[in-house]
Amino acid sequence: MKTIDEEKLRQIVGDANIKTDPSDLYIYGSDSSVHHAMPWAVVRPKTTEQVQAVMRYANENLIPVIARGGGSGMCGQTVPVRGGIILDMKGMNKILEINLKDVYCRVEPGVVDDDLNLALKPHGMFFPPTPASSRIATIGGEIANNASGVRSVKYGATRDAVLGMKVVLPNGDLVNLGARTRVEASGYQLHKLMVGSEGTLGIVVEATLSFVPIPEFRCMGIANFNTLKDAGEAIGSIMASGAIPSMLELVDDVAIKAVNKTMNLGLKEVAAALIFEADGMVREAVDYEINKMKAICQKHNGEDIYASYDPKERDKIFLGRKSLFPALSKYDDNLASTALADDMAVPYSKMAEMAGKIHEIADKYGIVMTAYGHCGSGCMHTKILMDTKRKDQWESARKAITEVYDYVRSVNGTTSAEHGIGLSKAESFKIEKADSLHLLALIKKAVDPNNILNPGKLSQAPEDWVTATNLRYSVNS
Amino acid sequence: MENKTKEFKHLEKWQKTLANCIRCGYCYEHCPMFKYTGWESDAPRAKIITAFGLLSGEVEPSESVSQKMFSCFYCKRCEAACSSGVALTDIFTDAKKDLVEMDLKGPGTTSTTKLTCARCLICLKACPHEARSYDGKNIVVDPVKCQACGICIEVCPAGAATIQNSFGTDRNMLMDRASNFFSTHEAAKAIIFACNWSYYPDLQASVLPDAETRDKNYEILVNMCGGRLEPQLLMAPFLYNAWGVMAAVCPEDKCDHKGNVRAKKTIESLKNTFKSIDIDPERVRLVEIKAGDKAKFKAEIDTFMDNLNKMGPIR
Repeated sequence: MKTIDEEKLRQIVGDANIKTDPSDLYIYGSDSSVHHAMPWAVVRPKTTEQVQAVMRYANENLIPVIARGGGSGMCGQTVPVRGGIILDMKGMNKILEINLKDVYCRVEPGVVDDDLNLALKPHGMFFPPTPASSRIATIGGEIANNASGVRSVKYGATRDAVLGMKVVLPNGDLVNLGARTRVEASGYQLHKLMVGSEGTLGIVVEATLSFVPIPEFRCMGIANFNTLKDAGEAIGSIMASGAIPSMLELVDDVAIKAVNKTMNLGLKEVAAALIFEADGMVREAVDYEINKMKAICQKHNGEDIYASYDPKERDKIFLGRKSLFPALSKYDDNLASTALADDMAVPYSKMAEMAGKIHEIADKYGIVMTAYGHCGSGCMHTKILMDTKRKDQWESARKAITEVYDYVRSVNGTTSAEHGIGLSKAESFKIEKADSLHLLALIKKAVDPNNILNPGKLSQAPEDWVTATNLRYSVNS
Repeated sequence: MENKTKEFKHLEKWQKTLANCIRCGYCYEHCPMFKYTGWESDAPRAKIITAFGLLSGEVEPSESVSQKMFSCFYCKRCEAACSSGVALTDIFTDAKKDLVEMDLKGPGTTSTTKLTCARCLICLKACPHEARSYDGKNIVVDPVKCQACGICIEVCPAGAATIQNSFGTDRNMLMDRASNFFSTHEAAKAIIFACNWSYYPDLQASVLPDAETRDKNYEILVNMCGGRLEPQLLMAPFLYNAWGVMAAVCPEDKCDHKGNVRAKKTIESLKNTFKSIDIDPERVRLVEIKAGDKAKFKAEIDTFMDNLNKMGPIR
């Protein structure tokens, strides 16, 4: 392990904002992914100047720096594979301004998504990306990952809501990127480049974000399908029809069975269900969208089609989807739910085939995989349930994942829709972006010549994540 | 990662569960310790990761590990909300048992007794977890049984019972926060004390702009257990010209620490005192809130504030 000048770091952030005890470092070496690695120190800056000072020190001494938000990343983005300093950005947690006249807010990177939404709510506004982890996910992390969620189909991902930002570069310089306006035509749009860069280009110390009005009306519907094909075709038809759902979710039979088995919800065990929602300020307009989607579901042999404006009814409809995470975690005591190959996206017309493919591959390798997701934005989620102690299960999982991604790319899909690449998905990402990887490397080299910002991730991550990274599970040899 | 299970005879049985925790981190939202320090190493997930590390041999048992494992108020909110159904506090307790056997006894949030103890033994009877005993010379606290509800602190007439690291729930800290609220908010009228069960606070780890909070007329202070609401704390806001004080506790049958009963008694006697000095007793109010009943909590606060507005300031 390379030595760090702990005293120097203490001078920068103060004694109360540094952790170097091995028991703390071990904790900060994990996130929500399957990976683990030990950092050398955890530093919690409170100001931009402190971030700049840490970066100058790290750059001069060639020490890796990994910015960390809520630690809810699912692909190992904040796991310090080459050691270094974890910058715990949760210390910079101020909502600096909510500007209702110009419709933007300025926040520090450690502000939690739900907290921002709580602050916007009294003004009738919300920040739309809303990933499932919004209760702990920070804006900085959402920017690093270009996070999105169930409503991205209508409101877009984080990248669409970022107007500008202040960024500390690896050499400690501070730059202002973007603008406080809705549009900005010229230049390389560097603030957008930062979104999704997974902490490899700069440390965001302030973000200017747009927000949108909370709709007056929300109506949610559900339709059951006897074949995945019908459900998939309904998704494609809905999106091609010009309908504007505010949510369009698919839940497959494995997911429905899991929910019934563990939560006893008594849902009808069909091949697939679609949950759809429309929102707006005028009820007639919402009715129009919902009726359109209901009709399309019916045309594609949807059954038990039902929609409601009532919040309690909406909760009931969404319960199956909402209960999915706990259901999968509790599916079988011997199986752990792992975040691997969990957020690919494919064109709408391939959704059904994708879900079918997931089942086929899971059967082939003797693991449990389920297909569900924000199909309105083309995103398909899956979780792999396996006995994490068994080495052969990891090998099977790896083969299954490779096949899943081979299929995704063969239909012009993409490796990650919303969780990012980090470590777990580098293999497929590199194949998918093969012809532009050198551009990524050039950009990285230009901005971070010493390669100190989150090294070993994205295009630098090893292809064989099972053997080249330290898994956080105890695996029997 | 090689499996190097050591001598953790209590923790060992949780090996599968520890692997099954998906480490989503959603438990942060519920943990008063994380909210107070902002360090992930104080959040419930951190204890799970640590327990896993102890079993796998990657984490060495140490004072620092012990401090973490023994720091829990057993509000069990993390457990109730865990999507993987992980019995977090049972795991913490088993880890504590193993650490105690290695002579690592926290203290973390374990209550202790200072030398000023008069051996009146009131705390023994008051402790709802039978964690306190008397060995003929001193009060002895069982660090595994102690759930850091803090009731011993509130009943101790000598001020000898204490929690070394109280994560902001210490009476003086709460009184300082109340004072700070009144000195920084012109519109300040009330303090709402809430036990950690009755108040579903969201994460609220972020700082709002001044413009958003300037007109705030009440502040919510989490005091862990209703049993810790003692008169000095409840009266403190009135020193800063508060119009009223509300206390939210969990319903009697939901309280693990018998805090509800104690809180009711304290509030009742305070109401009587108010009556005797001609102050409307409704300026002190106790409400019972079931865990997670955010709507009722908000409605009760609104009703209380409406009443205070009708009453006006104390003259």
